[in-house]
Amino acid sequence: MTATEESAEPAEDVAATDRAASRRRIWWPAALAAALALALGVPALVAGGTSASGTSSVSAPADDSPEAGFARDMSTHHQQAVDLSFIVRDRTSDESTRTLAFDIINTQANQRGMMMGWLDQWGLTQHSPAKPMAWMSMGGHGHGADYQAHDGSLMPGMATNTQLAKLRSLSGRDAEVFYLQLMLEHHKGGVEMAQGYVDMADNATEKRLAQSMVAGQTSEIGLITDMLQERGAAPGVPAS
Amino acid sequence: MGSASKQTQSNKSQGNKPSAKQASNDRRARIAELRAAEQRRDRRNKILAGSVAGVLVIAAIATGTWIVVDANKDKKAKEAAAAAPIDGVQTFGDLSRNHVKEKVTYPQTPPVGGDHNAIWLDCMGTVYDQPVENERAVHSLEHGAVWVTYNGKATPDDIKTLSEKVKATPYSLMSPYPDEQGTITLNAWSTQLTVDSASDPRVNQFFTKYVQGKQTQEPGASCTMGAM
Repeated sequence: MTATEESAEPAEDVAATDRAASRRRIWWPAALAAALALALGVPALVAGGTSASGTSSVSAPADDSPEAGFARDMSTHHQQAVDLSFIVRDRTSDESTRTLAFDIINTQANQRGMMMGWLDQWGLTQHSPAKPMAWMSMGGHGHGADYQAHDGSLMPGMATNTQLAKLRSLSGRDAEVFYLQLMLEHHKGGVEMAQGYVDMADNATEKRLAQSMVAGQTSEIGLITDMLQERGAAPGVPAS
Repeated sequence: MGSASKQTQSNKSQGNKPSAKQASNDRRARIAELRAAEQRRDRRNKILAGSVAGVLVIAAIATGTWIVVDANKDKKAKEAAAAAPIDGVQTFGDLSRNHVKEKVTYPQTPPVGGDHNAIWLDCMGTVYDQPVENERAVHSLEHGAVWVTYNGKATPDDIKTLSEKVKATPYSLMSPYPDEQGTITLNAWSTQLTVDSASDPRVNQFFTKYVQGKQTQEPGASCTMGAM
């Protein structure tokens, strides 16, 4: 055996090893990608599976979130607007007042249903032991949470039980004027709360509804102010 | 066989007298041996690397899955807290819901469901000083209200605490019920809990779970007095 022959053999081996190594270099990134896909994909499937089969999605808001708080409190606030409007429809035959009341009943009852439906989908209760509007203090709107509930008026703008009883006792123009005065304050409180949620919203669908409340009720505040003026009445609610 | 022995013989004779051809054959055999060894080593390394990679991948999947499952478990626990079973709550299954004009004899005292009057009782956080009509209160329960009742054993403090709670809670009502067994009874549709004192923590739990809760027969129905 000569020296040249001796060196020729390892040279062949080196070439073979190089080819094998380059095959391995191609193989590894693919394997790594597959491993990553599996490592991320399997848990994602597990997460996706539970959210699809469970009653709520992984991203459901927390029980003490502004999302849940606004849905609960605005539902309560809306219910009283519906009640006030039903009362006035029974107390006057004036077309413009009855039309406004009809509009408020349908809009606010339907919006209330949307908010209650979200709470249900999020697996949260409709009622919470938290104070009304406690969620607003999270966004610096502390004044809403400081409201002193009294005689059934649980949040800013809500009428008292005494005022509801008085509306039931009035008729004709007196009922219209008192309803418009109460509804004006109710909308002001409603717009403030809805804007409070818009400013801290984390849920695009709920934020959109809150924005529509701000726009819709602000516009109705203008209409109600005009209707009071037509009846020669001042906007403020008279002390009873 | 004959040719094989012949071959062996010829090999032997060649072995005795090594030639260039013989050396080349030997070298090829050695190369083949080396390559086989190399391939065996390669295969062993591949199996080893594959096993290690496999174990790593399985570990990664298991860890990821565990994190997700654990997060789901936390969420379930939180949801469960919002609607967890409350000690001592009794439920009574499906109850009838017809509107009737006559008095109804109810199996529970106070009643928690069954046929009832067409006009419900105002339950927008309404506190009644006097006993109310069973048939109308049952209709309020159908709408998702919680009805608080108490007998003569309830203290003025109990009544004050419960009144304040009810007044701040739309979809609840309260009235005395002298004939009931327990001091304070919390009633929702087909659901009942008796407590001895208004300070029992289960009072708040009952409100949270059952005010317009899952037992509500007509979700979205009104608590404002039916006759306006």
